[in-house]
Amino acid sequence: MKLDTSGLESAVPVWGAPSELVDGFSAAPSFEVPNTTDFDGFQKDAIQMVKPAKGTTTLAFIFKEGVMVAADSRASMGGYISSQSVKKIIEINPYMLGTMAGGAADCQFWHRNLGIKCRLHELANKRRISVTGASKLLANILYSYRGMGLSVGTMIAGWDETGPGLYYVDSEGGRLKGMRFSVGSGSPYAYGVLDNGYRYDMSVEEAAELARRSIYHATFRDGASGGVASVYYVGPNGWKKLSGDDVGELHYKYYPVMPSTVEQEMVEVAGA
Amino acid sequence: MQIFEYNGSALVAMVGKNCFAIASDRRLGVQLQTIATDFQRISKIHDRLFFGLSGLATDAQTLYQRLVFRHKLYQLREERDMKPETFANLVSAILYEKRFGPYFCQPVIAGLGDEDKPFICTMDSIGAKELAKDFVVAGTASESLYGACESMFKEDMEPEELFETVSQALLSSVDRDCLSGWGGHVYVVTPTEVKERILKGRMD
Repeated sequence: MKLDTSGLESAVPVWGAPSELVDGFSAAPSFEVPNTTDFDGFQKDAIQMVKPAKGTTTLAFIFKEGVMVAADSRASMGGYISSQSVKKIIEINPYMLGTMAGGAADCQFWHRNLGIKCRLHELANKRRISVTGASKLLANILYSYRGMGLSVGTMIAGWDETGPGLYYVDSEGGRLKGMRFSVGSGSPYAYGVLDNGYRYDMSVEEAAELARRSIYHATFRDGASGGVASVYYVGPNGWKKLSGDDVGELHYKYYPVMPSTVEQEMVEVAGA
Repeated sequence: MQIFEYNGSALVAMVGKNCFAIASDRRLGVQLQTIATDFQRISKIHDRLFFGLSGLATDAQTLYQRLVFRHKLYQLREERDMKPETFANLVSAILYEKRFGPYFCQPVIAGLGDEDKPFICTMDSIGAKELAKDFVVAGTASESLYGACESMFKEDMEPEELFETVSQALLSSVDRDCLSGWGGHVYVVTPTEVKERILKGRMD
């Protein structure tokens, strides 16, 4: 597949041979210069302005029975919560899932684009694309847009002929194969619970509960994560959504409010 | 991030019939990380005067200590408690002293004045008083709080109804703010008693 190198082409026209003295003076090679005082730094400021903070918690891990994928559902704009019901686990095709962290528009668009490319691969090659191949497709696309302000921190999880597969792909162009990943501002908190409770041979229910607890703990500590903890399982027959629990209710399920014991009570004294 | 949004806070005070309610959230955070979920933002000056401080937590603690000190001196000299209006003037003066290096706090003052008339006011960080007859709000969730209070407020509410209104307004506003919430703390003060209640909220 040809790498999309259109972003790397120079905008400056090639300096032609200076023999056309007949054409009048040839203009110096130039391109539109933005009207700004700080030419070298303004672009960085512009990117920072549109760069949405990766306020989210997503995680995925491979275990004996397949891949477990989980995410919260909060979208935040700075301090304001714009939504508590965002779908952060994107269904690329019936046996592959992608997670969303970073810019919502970027993630949604490029995951859908990846889904299209995977389907085209299926039609051209008469077989499903592997998770390795799909993640490489996405990584190459994101690499060609490097430095242009895309914000994508995604995990591609799926089941192909070689078994379960999990890759982390981001908008800086990185692509990593691994067994456990967590992405987003809540990821340190999720890693703490996930790394502690992880074993390779867990059952599906145990793995789902570990994923749910990790997301819950991240939503408790991280201000930019919250809403609903969704848990998906990817097995040999494709993905299946296991649960979507409101983390507000999960808190009181894990830590129920105990009526506090009364130490001293004032009692009416009879006939005083 | 802005200095006022470093710790995160939400405060609201509302007037009822011969009573008032003052409520706050319970989160103390360092930007997005939550450090504590039982932080006290509202303090008692005397039985009929409460005040809360939103904004930077360290300045809120220092300012609280200075104000308690000033009120104790006043009690020793005048042999009586301060009126809410007087206290508001005191807070305003203390904040303006630091005009060119301010405390990064926004106080909310609520008290019962003469003839049990409820008094509420808020200020900006350099002491500009804003008196209101119905409700005052402060903190990172203040815009949501304005909307919620405006739609839920009614004149002359009894203490129980006032408690319900303040609680609903507070919880629904902090549920739209990343930096405040994790429970609520409500004081409802009438001429005869002070009722302190802790709200069960979303912990995310």
